[in-house]
Amino acid sequence: MARVHNWQLGRDMSYWYPEARPQSQFAAVFDTNKCIACQTCTLACKTTWTSGRGQEYMLWNNVESKPYGFYPLAWDLNLLEKLGPQTWDGDRYAGRTLFEAAEAGERVLGWRPEELDYAHPNVGEDDCAGAAVERGSEVQLPHDKWFFYLARICNHCTYPACLASCPRASIYKRPEDGIVVIDQSRCRGYQECVKACPYKKTFFNPMTGTSEKCIACFPKFEQGLQPQCFVNCIGKIRFAGRISTPEHAREDNPIDYLVHVKQVALPLYPQFGLEPNVYYVPPIHVPRRYLRQMFGPRLDHAMDTYRHAADDPDLAALFCLFGATERVVPRWKRVNDVVVGMDEQGAEIVRVPVREPVFIRQAFDAARGVTRTNVP
Amino acid sequence: MHRLAVLDLALALAAGGGAPPPPASEVVAVRRATLPTAPDDAAWRDVPAFAAPLVPQDMVEPRLLEPSTREVAVRTITDGTRVALRLEWIDETRDDLPGTGRFSDACAVQLPARVEADVPAPQMGETGRPVEVSYWRAAWQAVVDGRPDTLQAIEPAAAPDHYPFDAPPLAPGSPEQQAMAQRYAPARALGNPMSGPRAQPVQDLVAEGPGTLRPADHGRSEGRGVRTAHGWTVVVVRPLPEGLRPGQRGQVAFAVWDGAHQEAGARKMRSAWVPLLVEDAR
Repeated sequence: MARVHNWQLGRDMSYWYPEARPQSQFAAVFDTNKCIACQTCTLACKTTWTSGRGQEYMLWNNVESKPYGFYPLAWDLNLLEKLGPQTWDGDRYAGRTLFEAAEAGERVLGWRPEELDYAHPNVGEDDCAGAAVERGSEVQLPHDKWFFYLARICNHCTYPACLASCPRASIYKRPEDGIVVIDQSRCRGYQECVKACPYKKTFFNPMTGTSEKCIACFPKFEQGLQPQCFVNCIGKIRFAGRISTPEHAREDNPIDYLVHVKQVALPLYPQFGLEPNVYYVPPIHVPRRYLRQMFGPRLDHAMDTYRHAADDPDLAALFCLFGATERVVPRWKRVNDVVVGMDEQGAEIVRVPVREPVFIRQAFDAARGVTRTNVP
Repeated sequence: MHRLAVLDLALALAAGGGAPPPPASEVVAVRRATLPTAPDDAAWRDVPAFAAPLVPQDMVEPRLLEPSTREVAVRTITDGTRVALRLEWIDETRDDLPGTGRFSDACAVQLPARVEADVPAPQMGETGRPVEVSYWRAAWQAVVDGRPDTLQAIEPAAAPDHYPFDAPPLAPGSPEQQAMAQRYAPARALGNPMSGPRAQPVQDLVAEGPGTLRPADHGRSEGRGVRTAHGWTVVVVRPLPEGLRPGQRGQVAFAVWDGAHQEAGARKMRSAWVPLLVEDAR
């Protein structure tokens, strides 16, 4: 194994291949606080990419109700249990990554889901409310009742476990944008990647005999457009772009600003060691003890920052760019109470007011002597 | 030897009685005018079996740590240009359905691409010194034997309600319809030979070391496998390795995958190189 640097862990770590960062890295920020689990993202992906035979069960994008929703079943719990308790020393990870904890004969610490584990996406999503409203809660939980929606795609990791695990190097990171893809002409369907990916975002297709995964809609991304699950999100929780390493972070890059400058968006299970590139604004109503395990030691800072985002003109403005355009917005600036999204050359792509004007319409129209319904 | 005796007895009974020939100390390609292609062909009856011991592939990750199939009984017949290899092994479970976490039973024959005094590394060859592999898979055999290329054939309970490429106004079988269907089957669209449906249960491959396996330029192997009471019997017919003449010795190696043991790719039971004597014409 080679030694590579993982900035999310604050240290070097072991990886199957030497460090070779792409020229640019696809990345995204998901604001979990805005997600309503409508699954429009899931359908957008499904209809675009996985409507074929053998892809029926595949959800390259899914939204699960944490803590008890999973796809596949118990994907994170199984691995956390297998990895065992690990510790952080401040911002530095003192535990073992999946590569460092690999068992004898393996490249990665993983587990293999069975078909039934995919049979009930998001099982348990309604448990907090009970099966019927009049019956009340169906399950008694060992903690106060809370839940949040976790939207998930492939994390297009800097150190993908799927890529490391493939014995014939059928998986690669595109050098131009870091998107992780499975070469469909080379894959022989050994399913090592299905076992190795901790996020369980590679899927075996029984009709083609190969494994398939999220491709970050690269045909769109190449044209400067955000993926389907981003632009169809009615909650506007998603923002796609490119991320720099911390030492090269630019304040005018929206992803860099949210991840590196404000540190309000955090990687999912950074302790696994993959340096995942989808970053989450944590749900601010959920107990921190749970979220710390999921998002790492910078959780408190992110939670506090987001809670006070309304008092931070720049941060509040930047969140208004989410879902504002289909285009990828690599640069941004705030001009008074307007946020402007720009291309690499600084040309304006989109302009959004930070606060929409408010109009109050009286319910009773005295001039016409009628009560209005809620129509324009 | 106990297992081999069982296999020999089974073969003898299937062939209609008669004492089997004594076990061989190497793989001997017996010279015959014609090559049998069926595993139960009577021609196999008087061909001596070599019991090739199998060990777990534990040299490169991912490794197989727990042994499964201990040996494979090999019988070989040649007509001077082609060679038929009959592999027989015990596997109590039939695994020929693809699926998540499901793996197919399979076997493979490996030969050096060139006959030289010094053989390439037994594990998939080495750079500049390729090996040729004839790979048989039970899941492919099932399709060749008539299992439909449909989802319901492998997932009987599946009831998909809609495929966009099967919906009007696309006419079934029209070029437009097929082109759209391929868009949702990328491996098939790219002609990946793994992606089926296949006309042959055997695939020709070339390798120059672990992880380098690739389809051969030309498919030259044929084969057929049948499920027996306690395992599989597979016949692979392919050309003799280039430069291996009747009367000479070459090398051959074998591998067996047990699907129930989640074996695929590098996780396999394999043999070392075994001497292969090609009998001269009588």
